Amino acid sequence: MSEAGHWIAQVGNYSFNMDTLVTMWTAMAFLIIFALIATRKLTLIPSKIQAFSESLMGFFWDLTDSMIGKEGRKHIPLVASLFLFIITANLMGQLPLRLIQLKQGELASPTNDINMTAAMAIIVLVYYVFTGVKKKGPKYFLHGFDFISIILALVEVLDMFTRPLTLALRLFANILAGEILVSALLGMCAYFLPLPIMFFEVLVACIQAMVFMMLTIAYIAMAVEEPEHH
Amino acid sequence: MAAEEIKTLSEMAQLGAGIAIGFGAVGAGLGIGVATKGFLESVARQPEIAGKAVGFFLLGAALSEACALYAFVIALKLSGMMG
Repeated sequence: MSEAGHWIAQVGNYSFNMDTLVTMWTAMAFLIIFALIATRKLTLIPSKIQAFSESLMGFFWDLTDSMIGKEGRKHIPLVASLFLFIITANLMGQLPLRLIQLKQGELASPTNDINMTAAMAIIVLVYYVFTGVKKKGPKYFLHGFDFISIILALVEVLDMFTRPLTLALRLFANILAGEILVSALLGMCAYFLPLPIMFFEVLVACIQAMVFMMLTIAYIAMAVEEPEHH
Repeated sequence: MAAEEIKTLSEMAQLGAGIAIGFGAVGAGLGIGVATKGFLESVARQPEIAGKAVGFFLLGAALSEACALYAFVIALKLSGMMG
């Protein structure tokens, strides 16, 4: 139920949602520390954490290889950090951080704030448009001057609005709906009733991170694919 | 509740929120049902692709579930729980 009341701090003309900022930085700090520990002592025979991060990397390689192609591996920094950040942020919402009392709002997952998800969606938009323009030049927007191409270009412009909108809203609404569902069930019976929904939310957290990443890869793949010659 | 009891704009908005989430849930339910049907049929035909198909099934189910959640956001807006 956090959308109603974020803990808002005013700095000049800007307002900051402090609870989102705190949880976001916590998630980022967790990831940075994980990366530092995982890459500190690299050995040929990997330790447990190195083996885990190598298998993660292999997972991203397989995914981009199958959806974009061999040169898709250079998009892994964006895609992998989006996935790891979203899954950390979503799973953080399942920790009992709400026990810490704030002035207003609560320490839930940062992805229950539309500003957070919209920022990530706009980054994805800028990235895939930039990649497409770098690969194809102005042909990315307009392939030719016949009727079909102009209609397709208009649809492409429409896509630039709908894709980030749906990308941001999907993640935000899934997480927020889960939190509202859990708190509604808590209101009915606080003891064991919300438990199955909380397990379901763990599943949803992983699936939504996966969906965000798969759609990002799909958008990049659509932007860089060569048009078929008829 | 009789029709003449609903008077103010916010009461109408509450009604609209209920209608929005209801119709949104119909579409998402149908979508997840069709996705599950396709998944089960393909696994029954070729049991060895179950591991590969379950990923696509979850992806498709999440995508169609998202349509209900767009309706949910509109319902939240209408009922005044969100900004």
